[in-house]
Amino acid sequence: MPVFRWGQSWDPFRDLEREVDQLLANVSLFHGIRFGRQYPPVNVYELDNELLLTAELPGTRPEDLEVLISGGVLTIKGKRSGPEGISDDRFRRQERSRGSWQRSLTLPAHIHEERLAAEFTNGVLCIRLPKSQGTSSPRQIPVTNGKPRNEGGPEKEMDDQPNPTLPDPQDANPQDA
Amino acid sequence: MSNEIVRATESAPLPPPEFSVDQVVFTPPIDIFETAEGLVLQADLPGVSSESLELQVQDNKLSLFGKVALPVPPEARLIHQEYQIGHFLRSFILSDEVDHERISAKLNQGVLEVVLPRLPKPEPRRIQIQTDSK
Repeated sequence: MPVFRWGQSWDPFRDLEREVDQLLANVSLFHGIRFGRQYPPVNVYELDNELLLTAELPGTRPEDLEVLISGGVLTIKGKRSGPEGISDDRFRRQERSRGSWQRSLTLPAHIHEERLAAEFTNGVLCIRLPKSQGTSSPRQIPVTNGKPRNEGGPEKEMDDQPNPTLPDPQDANPQDA
Repeated sequence: MSNEIVRATESAPLPPPEFSVDQVVFTPPIDIFETAEGLVLQADLPGVSSESLELQVQDNKLSLFGKVALPVPPEARLIHQEYQIGHFLRSFILSDEVDHERISAKLNQGVLEVVLPRLPKPEPRRIQIQTDSK
């Protein structure tokens, strides 16, 4: 059985998927999805009373992970370092990313910031964003009889309104940038 | 080399039968580095717990299959997606230089670390020379 060798010395490995990996890494649908955008990629889930934001951060020590919230902007920061005392020339293979990262996300308006909680399990960060009271049930808005306006006004104004119930968080720097 | 790829794909272990097809399977990224004792392999397996990780050495093949559990309750609705969740599968061929009996592994915060010690070099053996004394 032919064994693929790299490096001069002892090489007991032949990685079955190596060639395939390299092809994929170059064309890189996988890397495009995972790393082409902001790091780390996040998913957001909705439950009746809270939103859950998850990110995969394997190998990050909990003490190297920071979750901050301020003025409706959630910031997560962290770092992952390589194994201690192992110089780069000892690596036969290096595919796992390392380094520091930071990402900020704008939270939807109806989040209870003080009751935010985060846990880190099996390398997956899960941040719980409790919805504040009152937004889960529809709120009745009284319509009063106003003065008639000049024509052309009302419809256009309605279209310009952003949808206030859209829970989709967007990356930071909303309109100010 | 293209033959190699085909063969490699064919010899990849099949996931266990209870594995549901609607899930994605990823090849986890790995690091391999050398230490004084042998090699260390690290693989990123976020969302895999030690109970749901299968690590096998059969003949000279090391294979890992990590089953991922959803990090959220099943009734949660996905409303924004930037990454896909999938199980993890990858295999490696070990050479005879690895001491299969002493392979050890641990899983910490979604990272699998497999220690592959080198077989001790056999001591040089003195061979007695006999003579036909006749």
